[in-house]
Amino acid sequence: MGFGGEGAGATALAPAVGLRGVTKRYGPVVACAGVDLELMPGEVHGILGENGAGKSTLMKILIGLVQPDEGSIELGGRDVVIHDPQTAAALGIGMVHQHLSLVEALTVWENVLLGDASRFDRSAARRQVMETAEHYGLEIDPDRRVGDLSAGLRQRVELIKCLRRDPKILILDEPTSVLTPGESEQLFTTLRDVVAAEQRAVALVSHKLAEILHATDRITIMRQGRVVERSRTVEATASSLATAMVGRHVNLRSSAAALGVTDLVDDERLRAEREAAAAAAAVAARPVVLDIDRARVVHDGVAVLDDLSIQVRAGEIVGVAGVEGNGQRELGDLLSSLVTLDSGSVVVNGRSARTGRAGCMAELGIGVIPEDRHDSGCVLDLSVAENLVLDRIGSVARLGLVDRKRMRARALELMREFDIQAAGPDAPFGSLSGGNQQRVVLARELGHDPTVLVAAQPTRGLDVGAIEYMSGRLRAAADSGIAVLLVSTELEEILELSDRIVVMSRGRVIGELDRAEATSERLGLLLGGVGDDHDRSRGDAA
Amino acid sequence: MIAVLGVVLASAASAVGDVLSSEAMYQSAMRFAIVLAFAAAGEWVAERAGTLNISIEAMMIGGAYASAVAFGAFDIVPLALLVGVLAGVVVALVQAHLSHQLSIDQFVVGLTLNLFVLGLALFLDSKWEAVTSVVKPTRLPVLHDIPVVGEALFGQPWPMYLIVPVVPLAWWLVFRTRWGLEIRSVGDNPQSADVSGIHVNRRRRESIMVAGAFAGLGGGVLVLGQISIAGYESGHVGLKGIIAIAAVIFGGWTLRGTLMGCVLFGYFFALQQTLPVLGYRINAQLAASLPYLVALLVTAVFATRTRQPRALAQPFVRGLT
Repeated sequence: MGFGGEGAGATALAPAVGLRGVTKRYGPVVACAGVDLELMPGEVHGILGENGAGKSTLMKILIGLVQPDEGSIELGGRDVVIHDPQTAAALGIGMVHQHLSLVEALTVWENVLLGDASRFDRSAARRQVMETAEHYGLEIDPDRRVGDLSAGLRQRVELIKCLRRDPKILILDEPTSVLTPGESEQLFTTLRDVVAAEQRAVALVSHKLAEILHATDRITIMRQGRVVERSRTVEATASSLATAMVGRHVNLRSSAAALGVTDLVDDERLRAEREAAAAAAAVAARPVVLDIDRARVVHDGVAVLDDLSIQVRAGEIVGVAGVEGNGQRELGDLLSSLVTLDSGSVVVNGRSARTGRAGCMAELGIGVIPEDRHDSGCVLDLSVAENLVLDRIGSVARLGLVDRKRMRARALELMREFDIQAAGPDAPFGSLSGGNQQRVVLARELGHDPTVLVAAQPTRGLDVGAIEYMSGRLRAAADSGIAVLLVSTELEEILELSDRIVVMSRGRVIGELDRAEATSERLGLLLGGVGDDHDRSRGDAA
Repeated sequence: MIAVLGVVLASAASAVGDVLSSEAMYQSAMRFAIVLAFAAAGEWVAERAGTLNISIEAMMIGGAYASAVAFGAFDIVPLALLVGVLAGVVVALVQAHLSHQLSIDQFVVGLTLNLFVLGLALFLDSKWEAVTSVVKPTRLPVLHDIPVVGEALFGQPWPMYLIVPVVPLAWWLVFRTRWGLEIRSVGDNPQSADVSGIHVNRRRRESIMVAGAFAGLGGGVLVLGQISIAGYESGHVGLKGIIAIAAVIFGGWTLRGTLMGCVLFGYFFALQQTLPVLGYRINAQLAASLPYLVALLVTAVFATRTRQPRALAQPFVRGLT
């Protein structure tokens, strides 16, 4: 199973793979600009950068999913062209994808075998899966359907799939985004073994500082498609990395959410927590505005929301924490009037929602910043102005026809108020940057004075500046008396903003913490409740 | 909805008690079911790979007409069936490349092909004479003497028995070969299949070829084993391809269920044919619409509740995501 060939001493000098001057453009956008990168055997190489810095594109070039416009790839001393994932696999490059490459309807062993070219032999394949699993301490039942597995176990399958092909180079793209802290720790332990014992080269792509500092030997930082800094991990500090990554000095506290380094700012946090505790006491006296009571939604025989109860008071931010895929999306859909409840109720200021009717939640004064703004937040082909009035076209209409003058006036007003940078109200929405698109959605939802604001992953995919703006707006919305429900998988974002935190797992609330008692450790432990469960299922599998 | 379906089935059967004891009824139902099963087995493979292949109808028509022409010209049944297979594959080639290489909407391509091949067969029929013929039934000794169902199961013209290897072949292809594993992966999650290094659209094209071959064979069996009227008529296939799609949906995208669907629909096709023979007076148009009515009910009931390939009918284009 080892990385054969050269000994460790010799390979310490020769890189396993080298990228030279790799450039990739998408229209006017340069995703990668002349990137040089060398991965050494026996090392974990962290590739750090904000969302959109070009990390994922670079890795896709390496795995053959994207063809570079310029530059070359050198593997074991000779230039190679990687046309497609098959070529990459043949060259010994394997990747654990951010959104895993597994097929839910197939079993574990079938998934591991997928994409191979060897003879199709069921029993040999199952045996190999078990051998690989045992070798790396990644226990798994080869006959389970992948769709029935937890996120952590799925990633384990993905890792086995990769390692079984004995790759010289292993790429992990944001591997912890769907994992609990406990599962992440286990992943990094496995990685250490893989690297130290077998001299593989590992690229760990992440936007989380803490993770990069913890798990890598060497760091390359990317910003706007370029490499801006290279260093050895032992010489790096969180603040130096953060500054390089963002391109300016950052206040670690206010940007902690984006960078994943809450534990580095404990002193400031303690002070903030004391202030928060006092504020929380005041909030507790206010009336409950949003009352979700034993909401239950069953989809394909699975309870995606399982007697979920959450209350939000006026002027309060309630953070919903949890590992991705535990019902957060369905909660957002429910409050966007997209889902019909099987039982339970949603009540806003004493008025019960008739779930399932289009617009029923908006009628009650619930504004939603959806998880995926392109999918459900706006229409890319319409103009900024049209998007801004999309849900209240009646307010700018006369005799059933849209009054374009009033629409533009309303748009200009909102664009000023929310500082939306666009060529004008008639600019196509798709021409705006991610941060400005998100502001349009925010402006529309806040524009008609909601009583409840639901923000689902509001900062995903945004740069640090846009994240700061969004955080400020959410805080201001709460201060003005709006009940805010913040759904996020970023623990730091939750800790940063919430007055109260509920933890969701498998469609249920499994724990609740006040701001004063919430630390990332305690939250991590609560999320680890999922971890316990997951350990049990491992026991079953064994 | 299930209850409604049950009532329809029960009333259809019980209202005409002697239908159940009619050998001719079983014989006829079995022939319809087998012809449907060829196309449905092919359709099942294509759908497992993610194509809702409505041109299965055109593939059957192509197979039926080509077989009839070849039979008229050479008078050799195996050769005629082979020509039918080829015709099905030719239609499949067009569907596959238009929908999974040029990324044209599969339904637009399918609908167009269905109308085009239907018209083409009629047009060519004025040039080349097509001959349909029922091959003399092969009666298996002893077995075919079993009362009521013996004739239906063991007294069919030999092309009908080709279904015996075809169905296991379809199952083996999908569940016991690497190709089949890849077929199932591209039907369920083409993005994952792509990053795993599988040529998604190539596999989908191949699955449509398989559907074309099976449906073409089904068309051939139809004109050489079932239809006794001399000459080719446009109504021979008569939307049986579409019914085959309904059978796949009825079967919840399992092969066993698909076959049960073929038997169900075969029964209703036979009912429409047998009732007048048995002396029942029933509006001919109403009787003729029965299988399609049941198909409509079945798709309405089953299309939403069963586990369909998740990427069914979704085109795959490698994106930036």
